[in-house]
Amino acid sequence: MIQYIDMHAVLQQSVSSLYTDLVTRPTGRVVRERIEQAIAGLGGAEGAGGAGGAGGPDGAGEMTIARIDFAGVGCIDYSCADEIVAKLLRDRPAVLVLSGISEGHREAIEPVLTGHGLAALIERADGTLDVLGAKGAAAALLDELVARRCAARRPGGTYALTLA
Amino acid sequence: MTRLVEVPAQFDDRSFDQFAGAFAEANKDAERLLFDAHAAEWASPYGLVGLLAAGQAARRGGSAGAADRPLLTAPTNPEVLSYWTRAGFFREAAELFEIHGKVPRAKAAEHSDVLLPVTPVRAAEDVHAVVSKIQQRASAILASELGLDPKATMGFAMALSEACQNIVEHAGTGGWVAVQAYHWRRKLARRVVVIAVADAGVGFRHSLEPTQSKRFGDRWGDAAALEAALVQGVSRFRDPGRGQGLAGIRRYLVRWDGKIAIRSGTARIAIVPKWDEDVPLKDGLPPFPGAQVLIIIPEQGSTEP
Repeated sequence: MIQYIDMHAVLQQSVSSLYTDLVTRPTGRVVRERIEQAIAGLGGAEGAGGAGGAGGPDGAGEMTIARIDFAGVGCIDYSCADEIVAKLLRDRPAVLVLSGISEGHREAIEPVLTGHGLAALIERADGTLDVLGAKGAAAALLDELVARRCAARRPGGTYALTLA
Repeated sequence: MTRLVEVPAQFDDRSFDQFAGAFAEANKDAERLLFDAHAAEWASPYGLVGLLAAGQAARRGGSAGAADRPLLTAPTNPEVLSYWTRAGFFREAAELFEIHGKVPRAKAAEHSDVLLPVTPVRAAEDVHAVVSKIQQRASAILASELGLDPKATMGFAMALSEACQNIVEHAGTGGWVAVQAYHWRRKLARRVVVIAVADAGVGFRHSLEPTQSKRFGDRWGDAAALEAALVQGVSRFRDPGRGQGLAGIRRYLVRWDGKIAIRSGTARIAIVPKWDEDVPLKDGLPPFPGAQVLIIIPEQGSTEP
């Protein structure tokens, strides 16, 4: 099962319902802490659903997969991208699948991940996956998801998640 | 006794050092200051936020009673006065200066060129408000008048956010930001959007000193601190993710052929695009408190000077 995070809802809970932008480190910190609580199954985020992780084919090693939906989020700055996306990946073995991502969001998140040698996945509207971040880490991430049967190769060479 | 600080008639980043020199000279014996702007003919957003920073610094340093505010004579030219009012300058200046001269009643910035009037930045919440406001106001101008890809609006908001966060995270005091679009006849004969951010806080050298001064040894100073922050992307925080902000601004400006210049203490550093003749690093300038950031994004197309 994949943890679903509605970033816009988490943001509005964390800062103010007036703002739709993920900007500033303090905001990023609060948002990340709420996501961490949600991922840990503590139900800290109203915009969170689902729980648990994906085991490997041999049952060993739980992998936390979180699908973070950016729909409704205006701008994300570099500080917030670092505070949320990079720190979520740096501090725990997790896979982040980002959906509802705009070109602007990508512009902020990609260099931050690359700088840390980290990678995340982008899930496009048609369900296909794209990688974001450091090349080596991105290739390893995709390989691991396929090995764990969390993602599969589609005809045409694209990848998609196999889990709901 | 009151010391006079003349505000340059054309007050922008180029005349700022002249202003800083006058300010440093007048402020050294901690007398009350009079900022004389009566003959001002034009001021850029950089000049306006810089003047507020000077007012903030002069207020703190006043010896004739700590509560004494410096004096400011308002411009006498009605058009200049009207612009300074429209740009939100007097709304902020009223708290810092004892203003002399007739100041029109503050009106909301109706003129489309003022994308963001002079706005105080003291906390993260202020950065949220600034980013939210600029996205509403700037998209059309950036796309239609500057020829930026509509997608660049978000990058612009990111750059603005990071520039403002420098105040919140490093200045140790509040500051101001202003954003304006105008036709830059002198340099480019094109439209530009300018972001100006200023504070009278501790400055880059003081902020980075605990973590960086040893590394630079004898070279340590305002210029080295600016170089460390803008070129090397270092931060006073040991967290490896820090320093993203200025690096992100640089990437955005490279993409859109823009310019950034940061003045702090006695130095000024700039990432200079081809269309500009500025020098990358200047040291030994008249001292001025805090940090002043200038970001210029030109209309897209040929930017030959």
